[in-house]
Order: sequence, then structure tokens, then C-alpha cells
Amino acid sequence: MKTARLGIVALHCITWFLLAVVAAPILVVLAGAFLDPTLLGVTTERWAAQSSFFIPGWFGYVFQLYNRSLEFSLVLALLSVVVCLVVSIPGAYAIVRTDSRASRILEEITLLPLSIPGIAMSIGLIQAYAIVRGKWWLILCGHVLYTIPLMMRVITNALRSLDLDRLQNAAQSLGANAWQRFLFVIVPNLRHSIIVGSLLVFAISWGEFNVSYLLNTPLNQTYPAALYATYTSNSFAVSSAATTIFLAVIIPVLLALQWIGGREFSRPEQAA
Amino acid sequence: MSIAKKMAPSFPLVVALFLLLAYPLSLLFARSLQDANEFSLTNYIQLFTDNSHRRALFHSLILSALVASISTLICLAPAWLFANEHFAGKSLVRAIFTLPMSFSGIIVGFLAVIMVGRIGAVPQFFEKLTGTAYTSGWAYRLSGLVLAYLYFEIPRATLTLESALRKFDPQLSVAARSLGANTWQRLRLLILPLIWRPLVSTFAVTFTVSLGSFGVALILSKRFSVLPLEIFQQITGYGNNGLMAAMAIVLVLLAFVINYSARATS
Amino acid sequence: MKKTVLVLISSLLCSLGYAQEKVVIQYDCIPNYANWGGVTAAYTKETGVRIPPDMKGSSAAMAALEAEKSNPQADCAYYSGAIGYQAATKGLHQPYKPKGWEKIPDSLKDPDGKWWTVHTGNIAILVNTSALKGKPVPHSFTDLLKPEYKGMVVYDDPTIQGTGFTFVYGINALMGGGADMNAGFDYLKKLDANVLNYAKDNSYNDLLRGEVPIWINADGNGLKAKYVDKAPIETVIASEGTIVMPLVMGMVKNDPHPEETKKYLDWCLGDEAQKLMAQSFFRPVMKVDLGGKVQSEFPPESAYAKAKTLPLDQMAANADAVKARWSKQIKR
Repeated sequence: MKTARLGIVALHCITWFLLAVVAAPILVVLAGAFLDPTLLGVTTERWAAQSSFFIPGWFGYVFQLYNRSLEFSLVLALLSVVVCLVVSIPGAYAIVRTDSRASRILEEITLLPLSIPGIAMSIGLIQAYAIVRGKWWLILCGHVLYTIPLMMRVITNALRSLDLDRLQNAAQSLGANAWQRFLFVIVPNLRHSIIVGSLLVFAISWGEFNVSYLLNTPLNQTYPAALYATYTSNSFAVSSAATTIFLAVIIPVLLALQWIGGREFSRPEQAA
Repeated sequence: MSIAKKMAPSFPLVVALFLLLAYPLSLLFARSLQDANEFSLTNYIQLFTDNSHRRALFHSLILSALVASISTLICLAPAWLFANEHFAGKSLVRAIFTLPMSFSGIIVGFLAVIMVGRIGAVPQFFEKLTGTAYTSGWAYRLSGLVLAYLYFEIPRATLTLESALRKFDPQLSVAARSLGANTWQRLRLLILPLIWRPLVSTFAVTFTVSLGSFGVALILSKRFSVLPLEIFQQITGYGNNGLMAAMAIVLVLLAFVINYSARATS
Repeated sequence: MKKTVLVLISSLLCSLGYAQEKVVIQYDCIPNYANWGGVTAAYTKETGVRIPPDMKGSSAAMAALEAEKSNPQADCAYYSGAIGYQAATKGLHQPYKPKGWEKIPDSLKDPDGKWWTVHTGNIAILVNTSALKGKPVPHSFTDLLKPEYKGMVVYDDPTIQGTGFTFVYGINALMGGGADMNAGFDYLKKLDANVLNYAKDNSYNDLLRGEVPIWINADGNGLKAKYVDKAPIETVIASEGTIVMPLVMGMVKNDPHPEETKKYLDWCLGDEAQKLMAQSFFRPVMKVDLGGKVQSEFPPESAYAKAKTLPLDQMAANADAVKARWSKQIKR
């Protein structure tokens, strides 16, 4: 018994240590963004917007310079959610209800992008679609490529836990045709997984860098790429402010996922 | 209903996968085997014989293997705790644990620099405490890269292992002990076979993700290169399409090999 | 559900709205380098034309222009002199002589208008004195070879950044070397022992925080760090001398927005733009009154007594060979 208790204590120690490792950098960044930079031994930017009492001027500087990137990334994330839903819900439906060799192969292929490094696919997209390289929707394609597998997995898991046949038969016996069965019986039952999937896709698209970075153009730049620009050429206060803005969007999404999510969320594989 | 008709709603999915996945990958594969529009293995030969490229590939493999092993083993602790124990603040702890999972790679790189760079928070803390700045400059060495990669692999590994460990029934352990098995035998014959599969698959996933990680490498790999950075340099500097394609294909193949051999052993 | 759809539609409409706005794309338009952030912001305020930031270094910009030759995405580009010269010889620029052309010295422009200098910098040793932790400030390039600076020196990868290339090329002349470049490469090989890394990206942030104690780069960046960002940075003009680095712009051939670009390029040589560039301590090519404060913050003329101006045509002609040799002999 003693060894068991010691074991549990050891597990706790390791876990809390890891927790500190995870949380500490985030706290340092927040400190860098809000506190007087001289406390941290760093400096400020002359061209920062007028400093008000609470929101330090460097937030203004970041917004002024990179507001387009912020908007672009938000729009991309929302569009990724839409495209994923439109493609995945019928796709998952087809795969789950068919349950044949063909559908299993399709499912495997759908999950493939998760094993493929983002930069490799980015090169693939650039070389395959060189003519449209400057277009913003090419970046969306990159995002969609990596988010479809996640949405698909969430939806297929949910569909498999429903008793599809029984639902279909019941609806059919009441006179519903194929479309009506799909729209008014199946989809409403997927509400929970749709929310979870959407949050997941939004979070992944918002933070996506590997595929987007090489597809970025000065006109169409994602926010992570703008972040990278501040990390190299601006002061610590500016980069911390920019990072804080990033966290301010993603942390609520992740917390919502935690709260609503559960099992569907437990095995994401996304490259960083 | 025929299979074709049943599969009909997957049409948009199939189109998307073809345009975004199948076509670019095949093109990449074809290009990697071309040199000046003729079939040739020059790109691959160049990749494996050029010193800097070969070293980068080597670094990528070592780094990924290290990170995968460490994260898989160390995350057994929190995974077990989340799966089988209850304690105050568990959901908050779990929530914080999963935060880094969706962080962009460059953010993790930036966090590594501000924590264990030359004048990171950790060395400054040590310096105030002891006078010597331990861990200063770690960010740019192998140790720092491993730490940075671990940062976003910890949540992934923890969650994967957690769902596997949840299925482990502690009653089995009690029963085994009452039958006379000691700790070592219980570990070897009971626990290990049960967690072997999730351990292998966690290793494979973390290995693959580390292999392809670009954002972290961009910020931290100053002393040595990794394969994604070599690709990046090709596209921003020299623009040898065939060589780029070959590097990309090698990355993809490595990822495939690891993933599918993991699936095969379990 | 309805709310999400509304948000989506409004964001899509906004993006359509953006499609109507006027833009000029400049490759290598780093906001915190030579105050491009200030210059472009002022231009946008005056004309409503947006010039988005672009973080490409000189060589990266040239590589991008080459890759996009059949379908140019950029309107103009900014480079360090030799790379801009090279880009022009590769046929990537179209000739244009902006307003004020006559006032630019002949040595600082292409006779046909394929490139011209907007401001100049000098290669200097930028030192974060507090990061040195008591070690003496180096006063020459030879000083940098001393073992006490091990792991402290950074210069930009010459295959990506123009300033790095100017240094790698020019150090040969400062070391008294000849056309075979051996003196320069000998020095670089010895310096490698003290080099922390060859920066592929801007190290300004790192210099400010002391992550990079010694950065070999343009003097303007160091002066800005000291006087604007109030960081403990010393800008040392080495005793061996310095290389004058003209920073040039060129108009891209077949660019997407020629009319707007010409207006922008004209404006960059105007008083306001030149003064804004001077605020980051790059010397404007046009004679402008900098005002007493900025003028006094520049190092005295005597420091630049040994400034060497290298012939750009030679630099450009040898650029590829020098970059290749560096990649082979020095690069990690």
C-alpha cells in the first residue's frame, strides 16, 4: 500500500511539474505585454500609439500594423469551419452508412493529411497550383486540407454512436425521403459533434503556420506569419502584445472545447 | 441501395481530397524524380550526399526520436492521474495541459526563447538566486529544441495515453496480487501488454508531428538545421523545384513509415 | 447559428470591400528596418494607398521575383545595393526615373533607371553593452576574433539578407584582400569560431533583448536601437573602416499596379519620406534638413573616414560565386 501511495505522490509531482512548464511561458508573455518593460529589462517602441493607462501602447502598434492579418486569419478560420462542415457531414454520413471496403479506404485517405508534414503539403500545393499562387483561397485550401480530417473524425465517431439504421427506418416509415431524413433527422442529432468539430477546426486554422507560411503574400498574410515578423524585427513588448492577442482568441476556444468536448477531442494530431 | 448510391454524399469530400491531397502529392512525387524534365534520381542523390542536407535529415530524426521517447514516457504520469484519480482542480489542470496543443509552432519557439534563451526568464531567475545563469542559451541547442517540441507534444501524448489508460481496470491488478504476482511480474505481464499499443501509437504520433514541425525550427534552429528548414531555404533562396520535392517526399515517406509500422506492431 | 451566418457574411463583404482598395506591393518592406513602417503609414495617410509589410530579405525578394517572372505579384522591391543591381541585370526590373532623379549621384543609380538609391547605411558592429557582461566593447573586426567573444557574434546569412551579403563581400576589402577574396574568407573562417548563428531573419528583437550581444549590420539599426528604443546599444564603426551600403529600389517588370507604384516611388524620394527614413538613421540620398537632434545623434564624420564604397557592378557579377563559396566553406 505504501508503495502505491508513494507512486501516486510521484505521479502528482511529475504532473504538477509539467503543469508549471506548460503555464509559465504563457504567464511570462502576458507579463511582457502588460507590465512596464523596464521591469523585464527590455525596451519599447517610439512609434507605439499613445499609451493609455491599462492597455499599453504596443497593443495599438500591433493593431495598426497587422489588423489586416488579424482579420484575414479570422475570416480564414470561419471559412474553414464552413467548408469542413459542408464537406464532412455528407462525407461522414456516406462512409458510416455504407460500411464497405470502399468507404473504409476513403476514411483512411481522409485521415492521411494528419500524418503528412505541413511544409511538405505546402510545397505540393505551390508546385501543383503555381498559376494561382498569389490567391488568398489557396491558403484556405491548405487550412481545409488539415482540418477536414479532424472534423471527419469527430462526425464519424458521433454517427457511429447513433443507431443510424433505426433512425433512418423510423423516419422512412413516417414518409420522409432521403433529403428530409438527412437534414431533419441525422443532422440535428449531430449538433454536439458539429459544435465540437467547429471549435476544433477554428482553433487549428487560427494557429496554422506550416502550410500557410509559404503560401502567404504581403496582401494576404495570416496572423501567425505577422507574429513571426514581430518576433524577429520588433521589441519584446510588441511581440508579447501580439502573442497575447493570439492567445486571447484561442484560449476561450480551447476552454470551450474542454468544457463541451470530451472524448471526441482526445486524439488530435496537428503539426506545430 | 447500391454502394455507389450510398457513397454519393461523399462526392465533395472526394473532390476536395483529390484536388488538395492526391494531385499535389503525386505531382511532388513526379517532380522529385525529374531533373530538367527527364527521369532521374539526382534530387534524391543530392539530398543524401550534400553534407548540410544529410546532417539536417539526421538532426530531424534524432530530435523527433528523442522528443517522442521522452514525451511518451513522461506523460504516462499525468495520463494515469487524469484517467484514474480524482483530485481537487483536476479539470482546470487538464484544461491548462491541453492549451499548447493548438499553439502555432512559432509561438512555441518564441516562448522557448523568452524562457531559456540567452537572457530568458529561467536563466535570469537562476542568476538572481545563485549568481550563475543556468540554462542560458539552451533554446538554441538540442536541449532547447527538445524542450520546445516537448511543450506541444505533452498535451498530445497525455490525452492519447489517458484514453487508453482509462480502460485499465485496477481490479485486475488486485486480483493478480492476490494470486501471488509481485510488482515486477504485475508490471511485465499485466500492465505492459495493456499499455503497449497506446505507447507505440503515441510514440508514432509525436514522432511524426515533431518531424514535420516547421514553426519551432524556424525560430530555434540556429546552430543546426532540420529538414523542414532546408526545404524553406530552397524555396526562399535557390528554388530548385526537384530538390524541394524530393525533400518533401522524404519527409512524407518517413512519416508514413513510422505511422504504419506503429499500426502494424499493435 | 443565425449569428454565425451573419458574422460570416459580413466578414466576406468586408473582404470584398478590401478588394477595391488600392495597394502597392513592395518586396522587402520590413516595418522596423529603415522605418518602412513609418514611411508606408505616412503614404497611406496621405493617399489611402496601402503598402503591406513584407519581411523578405534582399536575396529572398530577388528569388521571389524570379519565381514569379511569368506572373509578377510585386510592384517594386527594396534591396541592398549589390542584390538590386543583380536583380536589374537579370531583367527583373523595368526602367523608371522617379521625380528627383537628377539629384541622385551617378554612382548611386543605374543610368537607365532600373534601380536607384533611396538611402545608404554603413556596415557597423552593433553591440549590446549590457549583454557583454563586463567584457570590453570591440573596436574593430579583428577584435571580434578574440576568444572572449565566443558565441556572441551574429551576422546575417548572405544568401538571404542583403546586409549580410554586403558584409561578407566587403570584409575582404577591409582586410586588404584582392580579387581572389581569400583575405575575406580567411577572416570569416576565423570568425566562425565566435559566431552564435547566421541569422536567416532580422535579429533586431534579439539585439534589443541581449539574446544577440554583437550583431554585424547597418549602423542605422544600431543608432535607432540606442536613441529611439533607448536600449544599451553601441554602434561601433570598426577601425579597419566600413562599407558604404547603398539601399536601392527598383520597379518590377510587368507589375500589377504601375500607375500607383510610380506615384509611390516618386514620393519615396520626396522630403517627407526621406526625413522619415532618416529617423531610423539611414542616410537619405536626397539632401534634406534632418533637424539638429537627429543630426547630432549620427556618429561624427571622422568615424566614417575609412568608409569604402565598392563598385556595385563587380559586387553583382561576383554575387553568386561569393554566396556559393560562403555556403560551402562557412555555412553550418
